[in-house]
Amino acid sequence: MNANSRSFRFSAMGCPCEVKLEGADDDVLQRAAKAARDEVERLDRKYSHYRDDSLVAQLAACADAGGDMHVDDETANLLDFSASLFEQSAARFDITAGPLTKLWDLQSARVPEQQRIDAALAHCGWQRVRWNRPHLHFSTTGMRLDLGGVVKEYAADRAAEKCREARVSHGVVDLGGDLAVIGAHIDGAPWLAGIKTPHDPARPLATIELQRGGLATSGDYERAMIVDGRRYSHIIDPRSGWPVQSFASVSVLAENCLVAGAAATLAMLFGVEEGAAWLARLGLPHLCVDTQGNVNGTLA
Amino acid sequence: MSASKLSPSLAALMGAAAALTSAAHAQTAAEGGTTVGYRFNEYGEDSFDGAAIGSRERYKVYSQQFQLDTRLPNNAGLDVTATHEVMSGSSPWYVLRGADARPVQVLSGATIREHRNELRGSYTIDPGTASSTTYSASYSQERDYRAGALGIERSIPLNAALTLGTGASLSHDIIQPTDAALYDRVRHEEKNTFSAFGSLAWVIDKNSVLQAGVQLNHEDGYLSDPYKLVSVGSDILPDHRPGTRSNAAVLLRYRHAFAHPDAALHLDYRYAQDSWGVVSHTVDVGWYQRLGQGWQLIPALRYYSQQEARFYAPFFGVDEHRFFSSDYRLGTFGAFAASLNVRKRIARWEFSGGIERYHAAADYALGSADSAVPGVLSYTRGFVGLDYHFD
Repeated sequence: MNANSRSFRFSAMGCPCEVKLEGADDDVLQRAAKAARDEVERLDRKYSHYRDDSLVAQLAACADAGGDMHVDDETANLLDFSASLFEQSAARFDITAGPLTKLWDLQSARVPEQQRIDAALAHCGWQRVRWNRPHLHFSTTGMRLDLGGVVKEYAADRAAEKCREARVSHGVVDLGGDLAVIGAHIDGAPWLAGIKTPHDPARPLATIELQRGGLATSGDYERAMIVDGRRYSHIIDPRSGWPVQSFASVSVLAENCLVAGAAATLAMLFGVEEGAAWLARLGLPHLCVDTQGNVNGTLA
Repeated sequence: MSASKLSPSLAALMGAAAALTSAAHAQTAAEGGTTVGYRFNEYGEDSFDGAAIGSRERYKVYSQQFQLDTRLPNNAGLDVTATHEVMSGSSPWYVLRGADARPVQVLSGATIREHRNELRGSYTIDPGTASSTTYSASYSQERDYRAGALGIERSIPLNAALTLGTGASLSHDIIQPTDAALYDRVRHEEKNTFSAFGSLAWVIDKNSVLQAGVQLNHEDGYLSDPYKLVSVGSDILPDHRPGTRSNAAVLLRYRHAFAHPDAALHLDYRYAQDSWGVVSHTVDVGWYQRLGQGWQLIPALRYYSQQEARFYAPFFGVDEHRFFSSDYRLGTFGAFAASLNVRKRIARWEFSGGIERYHAAADYALGSADSAVPGVLSYTRGFVGLDYHFD
C-alpha cells in the first residue's frame, strides 16, 4: 500500500508549528493540513495578545472602560475552563494576570520596579471579574485577559480534530512543543516526542512515546530571562506579581493537549515541592526537571 | 484510562475541559464549503398474508432525492432538499367480518402510479455551534394532497455542559381525494398542525452526551382517511375520526463515543401518548463503527410498541359509535426493525447504502393485543447514495 508521510510547517502563536500526517491520498493530507493550519491561525488571530485586532484587544478596550462584554460560545467555554483552573490552583492560575505578563515582557531584559508590580497587581485578579456566561463584566478599569495559558494547547487539540474530520487518522500536531496526536503511525507505531534538556536544548532529555492523546510542556528554559545572574521565568505567580521559583520544565501526558497543558502549567505554578506532590496525586504520566537538572516523575 | 481510576484533581480537570474537547457532539465534517448529494430509496411492503379480498401486492415507493448543503458568508448555512417519489400498489381499504367473526381484509385495487414532489429548505445562523437558529420551510404536492410548513428551532447554551433546544412549527394540509364523486368521498378538506419541543442536552464528559426532550403536537381539521371505510354492523361507512388530536412525547437520547474501537453508541427511547388513546414506546439502538480507510458501518435495531386508539376496531357492531376506524396504523401492534448502513469516503466523494427489514405483528405489542390488526405490515427498505464535497 502506498502511504504518504507529509510534514507541514508554519509559524503561529509565536512558535514554530508542524503538522505531520500519514495517509494513502496526498490530496486528503493537503486538505487536512490546510484545515488544521487555518484553525490554528484563526485561534491565533482571535486570542493573541500580541495583535491589536484580536478579541483580547477588544476585551482590553472593554476592560479599560470597565464595562460589559458578551462573548461567543468558544470564548465562554475557555473562560469556564479558566475559571475552573483558578479554583483548582487556589488562585495561582489567573487569566487576568495580563498586566503582569505585559510588565514582565521578557524582550526588554529588565526586572520591573516593585512599585510598577504593585500597580499592575491592582488591576489583576479573576475575583474582580464578574463572569455570568455569556456576560463578562470588569468592575475595575485597566484589566487585561490573557488566554495564552490555554489557547495553544486548545489549538493543538482543535487542529488534530480538524485533521480527523478531514478523514486523516494518522498524524500529530506540534505547536511549539505542545503535541496533539491525531492517531499513531499507519503501521501502529507511536509518535516519539523529545523533551529537551534545559540549558542544553540540542540534547534530548527523554523521548516519550505517544499512541494517542496530548503532551504539553511548561517550562522556562527557552523563555527565561537572566538578569545579574538570576533566572526569571515567564510564569508569574499572580498573587505576588513575581515569577515563580519552580521547575525548569514540566511535561505531562493526558487524553488531550488541553488537559496536559493545564496540568503542566498548574504544576509549574505550584512550585517544586507542592508541584511534585500535586502531579503524583494527579495520576498522569509526567516528567519534571528542576533548575539543578534533576529529573523526576513517572516518565523519568 | 478508565473513569473509575481518575484522581479527584484529574476528574476536575477533565470535567472542566469537557465542553472544549467533546468528541460526542463534534461539528459535521463539512465546516466550510458545499456538499451535494443524491439518494435513491426503495420501499416495498410484503404482499398481504391472511384472509383477504383484492390485490395482495401492497405498497411500493421509489424515491429520488437531491440535496445541497452549503456554507454562506456571515456564519450561516443553507440546506435544500428536493424529493420526487413514485408510489404504486394496493393498501388496506376496509375489514369485513368473516366467518367465525374473523376479520377479512379488503384491499384496494392496485392504483395507477402516483407521483409526489417535495421541496424543503432550511437556513441556519451559526451552524454547528451550541447557539444556532434554524428557519425552515417545506412544500409537498401530489395529485390529491398538498402541504406547506414553516418552522423555527433555536439552540441556547446554558453553561459549558448544558444546551437548551427549543422549536416550533406550523403546517397546513389540503386533501382533495381522487375519484371523490365515484366513491362518494369528501371533496376538499383541510387540517392545521402545530408542534413545539423543548430539550436539554448535557455533555457528561468528552465522550458522552445525554439529551432529554418533550414534544407537543396538536392537529385540527379533517383527520380521517378519505380512502378508508369501516364495517359498522352491516353498513360500510367512511372512516370517521375526531376533528382534533393532541399528542405529547418524551424522549431520551444517549450518545457515547469510544476511542478504542473508534465507534459511537446511540441509544434512544421515546414515549408518546395522545388524545385518541394511542400510547407508544420506541427503543432505538445504533452502533456507528469506523473501520479505517474511510469506511463506516452502522448496524441498528428498533423496537416499537403501540396501544390502539379508543375508536379502533377491525369492524364494529350495530351500536352507536361516534368515531370509528379500522386503519391498522391505529391498532395495537409491535414491530421490530433491523438495519445495516454502510458509508465509504474516497477523497471528495462519499458512497452510502443501506438496507432495513421491518416486521410488525399484533403479538409483538407490550401488553395484550386487544383486537386483531389484519392490515399490519412488514417491509423492506433500501437506499444508495452519493455525496460530493467541494470547498
